[in-house]
Amino acid sequence: MNGTKPLITSVCYVRHTINEPQACARFVADIFGLQQVASRDGELAFRSDDRFRTVSLSSDRGDGTSIGIEVWDDAALQEIGERLRAHGFAVRPASPEECQRRYVQSALLADDASGNRIDLVTRPTRSGRRYFPPRDAGIVQFQGIGLRSIDHARDLAFWCLLGTEVTDWVGDIAYLRLDHLHHRIALYPSQRPGLLYAAFEVEALDQIMQNSYFMQENQVKIVQGPGRQPASQQIFLHVEGPDGLILSYVTGTAEIGDRPRPPRQFLPIATSLCNWGSESKGVPELSAQSLPNRREA
Amino acid sequence: MIQLKDVSYVRLGSPDLEQAEQFATACLGLQTAERSKTDLYLRSDERTHTLCYSEGDPTRQTVGFEVEDEASLQDAAATLESLGHAVHAGTARESEQRKVKAFIGFHDPTGNHIELVVRPERSGRRYFASRDAGITGFSHVGLNSTDPARDERFWTEVCNARVSDRIGDIPLMRVNAIHHTIALVRAPQAGIQHINHQVESSDDVLRSYYFLNEQRVPIVFGPGRHPTSGARFLYFKGPDGMIFEYSVGVDEIEDETTHRPRQFGFEPTSFCMWGSKPAGMKLPNK
Repeated sequence: MNGTKPLITSVCYVRHTINEPQACARFVADIFGLQQVASRDGELAFRSDDRFRTVSLSSDRGDGTSIGIEVWDDAALQEIGERLRAHGFAVRPASPEECQRRYVQSALLADDASGNRIDLVTRPTRSGRRYFPPRDAGIVQFQGIGLRSIDHARDLAFWCLLGTEVTDWVGDIAYLRLDHLHHRIALYPSQRPGLLYAAFEVEALDQIMQNSYFMQENQVKIVQGPGRQPASQQIFLHVEGPDGLILSYVTGTAEIGDRPRPPRQFLPIATSLCNWGSESKGVPELSAQSLPNRREA
Repeated sequence: MIQLKDVSYVRLGSPDLEQAEQFATACLGLQTAERSKTDLYLRSDERTHTLCYSEGDPTRQTVGFEVEDEASLQDAAATLESLGHAVHAGTARESEQRKVKAFIGFHDPTGNHIELVVRPERSGRRYFASRDAGITGFSHVGLNSTDPARDERFWTEVCNARVSDRIGDIPLMRVNAIHHTIALVRAPQAGIQHINHQVESSDDVLRSYYFLNEQRVPIVFGPGRHPTSGARFLYFKGPDGMIFEYSVGVDEIEDETTHRPRQFGFEPTSFCMWGSKPAGMKLPNK
């Protein structure tokens, strides 16, 4: 932490590279319920709250993929840049074009140890118009992300340099907090890097369940859920669109009080990932079978 | 007017008590209170029993409602007889079987067997479930009705039930503050349409959904949420085809004098606002 101010304040966008932009756009807007907004540079962009955009899809493998992390101000940005360089992470300032493409004022473009691209940005653009989705999925805001990690010790070090804290462990899955919520980022040990899911907060359990039946009716693959994470109390539904794009509805994430506590360790078994009893279909990172050191309860 | 205080118990015939006990304890999550050769008493709350299986014909089904005292019971008997319902005065032995001080039996206009009871027994020991389903108590029943409008008149005009809401011509009726204790459902013959137990939280509803699925218990409706009472629910099938429900968060009617029943259309969204569709239950399914 930088004095009393945090270094970073939010996960502000995901930029995803996909092969079938049109099919993905239909899924994101018509099925999942985000509002499509004007796009440029061949990107398809979407809103989920008062931000100008929180999701973009692109077929540009070069500069189409990254996670946006909002940094407090330029001083914090500089501090983070120095810390990351000192620990051997690749960081470079974004060009004006790169900033423009991300709708931010300034940015440092970094790579974590797995090769995930993390944009550290200031002043991401907000919109004066309210969010108006194409269907009533009950989305309140972009909530957070799950990230795949092939080098979890180094990746964790990366995030800790940014000022995040581990709130809980499930096996080696780390839940990271950067504000009052239990977590905004979850790091999942994996065989490959990349975005695992982007999560959107909905109003309540009602919307989780309504979306669950909506997905069943529209024959959308439910990757996991409806379920509830024991560590964070978060109720979730993970659904999969074209190109393996996983989007999630979440609600009820616990808040962390002012009193510090050490991270808690949960066993790498199914009931640590969902205490209602849902199990993941086909996504190894979300399933207990793939967790190292798996033991029977 | 007969004043019902609360639903007290359900008595069900079953040809296979062992199977009934297995289901009630391992799946439904009740506690066996007492078991004889011919009777199986099950607990779900502070009462000594709320469900009793007796060896016999599964179409033999009875719902017991509590009334204030023995004087009320005598008045009720007189009222029912004056309206042409044959009334059976429970014998001492029959009362003992039901663990009540006294009772009378009669049939409602559809032919459902109803008992009115006085001083049903409570237990000093708390309810301790055989599986952690989160059950907090027995709460209401769905009753078949061959003519819901006629039966609604019987329950409201004779038994002081009040309509909280209607879905089509199905009335959801309360006898105390709880949104409904009796729901009438159109059916070709008499019978209990479902038996409800309340659970602690919506977590319990969802946990049971995954648990019962794994146990291969047929889920017939839900998980869902009733727009009428606000309850989150799950319906599933037990022995002899009986449907059991878990629910949580049933509204209470705060102002008895000003509550006006709402009318819901007879369609799936009136039964579930989440979008679940009844399967294997006699409700609209389009």
